[in-house]
Amino acid sequence: MKRNIRSDFALCRCLTILALLCLLPAWARAAELHVPAIVEAGQAFSIPVEGSGQATFYLVGPDHVVKRTVSLGSDLRILSSDVRAAGLYQVILCGSSCTSATFEVKAAQPAHLSFFLHPSRVPVSTPDSIDATAFVFDQYFNLVLTPVAVDFRITPASGAGLSRQVSTRHGVAWMRMDSTPHEGRVQVTAVLGKAEEERVIQQVAAEACALRMKAVTNGNMVTLETDPVRDCSGNALPDGTVVSFTKVDREGKSTVDTPIKKGIARVQFSVRGPAQISVACGVVLGNEVALNGKL
Amino acid sequence: MRSMTDLTLVFKKISPRFVKAATFVIAACVLAIAQSSPQTQLPEVHLDAAGLAPRPIEELTGTTIARHYALAWRELAGALESGRAEGLGEEFVGFAKDRLTQRISEQNQAGMHVRIVDHGHHLKAVFYSTDGAAMQLVDEAQLEIQTFDGSKLLDTQNATHEYMVLMTPGADRWYVRDLEEVSAKSF
Repeated sequence: MKRNIRSDFALCRCLTILALLCLLPAWARAAELHVPAIVEAGQAFSIPVEGSGQATFYLVGPDHVVKRTVSLGSDLRILSSDVRAAGLYQVILCGSSCTSATFEVKAAQPAHLSFFLHPSRVPVSTPDSIDATAFVFDQYFNLVLTPVAVDFRITPASGAGLSRQVSTRHGVAWMRMDSTPHEGRVQVTAVLGKAEEERVIQQVAAEACALRMKAVTNGNMVTLETDPVRDCSGNALPDGTVVSFTKVDREGKSTVDTPIKKGIARVQFSVRGPAQISVACGVVLGNEVALNGKL
Repeated sequence: MRSMTDLTLVFKKISPRFVKAATFVIAACVLAIAQSSPQTQLPEVHLDAAGLAPRPIEELTGTTIARHYALAWRELAGALESGRAEGLGEEFVGFAKDRLTQRISEQNQAGMHVRIVDHGHHLKAVFYSTDGAAMQLVDEAQLEIQTFDGSKLLDTQNATHEYMVLMTPGADRWYVRDLEEVSAKSF
């Protein structure tokens, strides 16, 4: 008899455990959170929550933390201000136990461009000398990772403008281009929808080209003067660019560096006996002048 | 006068014990701090800059970036756990700093904190501007993230996390300017 009672009790216990095991998934399902996988930044949405009673709701995002008591059985409202920063968000709901889920907030539509143009001054007609880089952000300054086309519009001081479209990769569009043949300001504008960012680069004359000087003697003195110093595209080298005159005579070698003023460089030497004078600007050598016969 | 002499004697008697005890307490504290904050050690950061464009990376720059990124994660983990955002400025600037500071402030208001057990980062450099003013990287981080409300553990996530990182150079270091967690599907 005793054995029967014991076996009945064990059976009851087994059945109770089985019933609890059956009920457990049903309870867990009730606490499950069904969150959208991806949400656009700044878009409000709701999370349906089953069950009844009260629970504590937590939202943990890159720049925002929410904790509030909610009633189960109604939708959880996620405000647009809760999901402005792009990134992964964690939702935790705690009643008798806690359940969690994650969703991703992606950047909204492009709204801002962060635009860099490098360098600020560049010689004319130089290949691959100008770099333009644009970072694309949405209105909340999240990097827009979805590829979009950025239009780089180049407007030189003279001559026709041009445009180049570049697709972003990881939110960045960049391009490299040659400088144009004429000096002056070049405006580069990055355009994406209504977002526009403008930068200016100054193109300056390149190295001097066909550098020439003439000599005028007056007794022991000789005045040397260059022709207007220009680059190969005909752009005048800016005033202040240094031109070097080198004299070699019996006394030895002497060099005078002088800046270009009003487009030309001028210098005076005293010369005794035969002398040879050369002119250079940067890496460019000009003509040579021999005075009083050969050395 | 006698009481003064007694006091000196007592002090002489107890001072070696006191010094020994104090030494033990300090050692215990250091040990406890070291054990309680795994963030004192820098997380492991491996940088892969193969095929970086449009500018290749210099070796020294790569070393500096890896070091400061590791420091940034140590600061970040420390700030999220302690609720103190003061140290973030050492390694973060711009959006990254603003967002983290705001998060820590709101986390404190909610009485929450987050513990990050950092198992290392694999950084892949994807863009380095020609003028050297910005570098973009993708981080594949092995993190265990524990979320607490007070002392109650709410959730633990032990997974690979991917981050899009923008770093810019400062006077003596590279700063984290933007740090956005992304899903692997984003690439």
